[in-house]
Amino acid sequence: MSKPIKCSLCEEAATVHLSQVVHGNVTKVHLCEACAQKGGATDPAVFQLADALTASTPAPTLTCPKCGFTDIDFRKRGRLGCPSCWETFGDALGGLLLKVQHEASHVGRAPAGTMPTGQLRRRLDVARLEMAKAISAEDYEAAARLRDEIAEIEKQLAPL
Amino acid sequence: MSSVEDILAAENELTHLLGAQQAVVLSTRIRLARNLDGMPFPGWAKVPQRKEIADRCVEALDALPKFRRGHVLRMGELGDRDRAVLVERHLVSKELAAGKSGAAVISRDQTCSVMVNEEDHLRIQVVKAGWHLRGTWHIAEQLDDALGGSLKLAFSDRLGYLTACPTNVGTGLRASAMVHLPGLCLAGHMDKVSRALNQDGLAVRGWLGEGTEAAGNVFQISNQQTLGLSEEAILRHLGGWIKNVVEQEWNARRKLAQEEGEKFVDRLARSLGVLRSARLLTSSEAMNMLSHLRLACDMGCLPEERRHLVDRLMIEGQPAHVQARAGQELDSDGRDRRRAAVVREALKDFPEVVPPTA
Repeated sequence: MSKPIKCSLCEEAATVHLSQVVHGNVTKVHLCEACAQKGGATDPAVFQLADALTASTPAPTLTCPKCGFTDIDFRKRGRLGCPSCWETFGDALGGLLLKVQHEASHVGRAPAGTMPTGQLRRRLDVARLEMAKAISAEDYEAAARLRDEIAEIEKQLAPL
Repeated sequence: MSSVEDILAAENELTHLLGAQQAVVLSTRIRLARNLDGMPFPGWAKVPQRKEIADRCVEALDALPKFRRGHVLRMGELGDRDRAVLVERHLVSKELAAGKSGAAVISRDQTCSVMVNEEDHLRIQVVKAGWHLRGTWHIAEQLDDALGGSLKLAFSDRLGYLTACPTNVGTGLRASAMVHLPGLCLAGHMDKVSRALNQDGLAVRGWLGEGTEAAGNVFQISNQQTLGLSEEAILRHLGGWIKNVVEQEWNARRKLAQEEGEKFVDRLARSLGVLRSARLLTSSEAMNMLSHLRLACDMGCLPEERRHLVDRLMIEGQPAHVQARAGQELDSDGRDRRRAAVVREALKDFPEVVPPTA
């Protein structure tokens, strides 16, 4: 008899086996009863998450100096310990982020009044691209909104 | 009167306001995940830390004008049934209701609710009846700004808003529409639509969110990606698809009505007949037949101004709501009996189903 397959999210024996086909790529996820029940079985993000978790080789143990969370904890929970964990595990999570999010950096809003210059410049680039897209899609309402946003960002960047 | 009874008794736009309801799109929802800087996420925090987080967040929320005369509900202080009612109304998640250290701050009109100590410290939610993506977003944006003014939020220049799970980092934004798609379901196209949405980065879920079945042909469609896209881009992407799905739903409905003719009307009329005379109604049976009534209101087979009553029955026909109204715990038969009575009473002066005009 072969060894029982372990759950992709915890260490229990897997009893639920899922396959997903996207663009001809087959992804298989094995889950234990409890993890499958938690609702993960229908969430496509879980496939990507579980895939990234199982594919990565056992990394040397990283520990967040702020909260004591380790990479083993992340493997078990799929969640981080505190905001500072993002610094500690940032590099290790890079591949996973690309898989789950397809992007590696933020271009959206920032807490009121704290948008850093770099962020503003990036947002400006993206807003210009989005406006061009909106115009070619003849979504003039969105284009007008973006035009206003671009003007606003340019005004904020002007004194610098 | 407990706060939850208050919430049940209050008229709100999802269940009462005439004219707020629309065909196809039941409601629009915006969710923002936010965390306090320097505090462990709820799943990793120790009990005293979770208490501190809850106190700080609730204090900040309570001070906002939006929550004036609203409700502050600590999960640890509520009974099982009250928590289940909140879940059925989508005011809190199953996860929040399951823990003791969570809290919910809910605006008086029930359009804004903030979950504290769920997976993240703060989950801001805004829900409007019908399809109002921009309006809903603006309310959430204002709340977010107001909260950011009184709390230091965890934010990184490169990764945006920092969250416990990598699937939420960046904007922390989950925008969604609750859509009623009986046409696409009856025509057997729902799998295809679901696949198309999935492949373009949107998630399709059942009525109560993640991992639930689509009772009553109601689905929740939401964005998946939260990083590397601006809020504007996320909203535009979802908005484009919802418009498309609504169009396809109408096409499917018209085709069905045309091809089936009398059979189409018969199906809707039978559901009204059963709902009006059944003595025992299970929750899923009620949902599926109410779905037919909603379809009938959209298609002109029943007066459109009855639609809000159908929406209210969909929400109030759920198990915890039935028991809360009865004021007692009921076994499954008791619930089915009580549900049937509530539905019978609500539909007793409904007119007959007529052929479609839409």
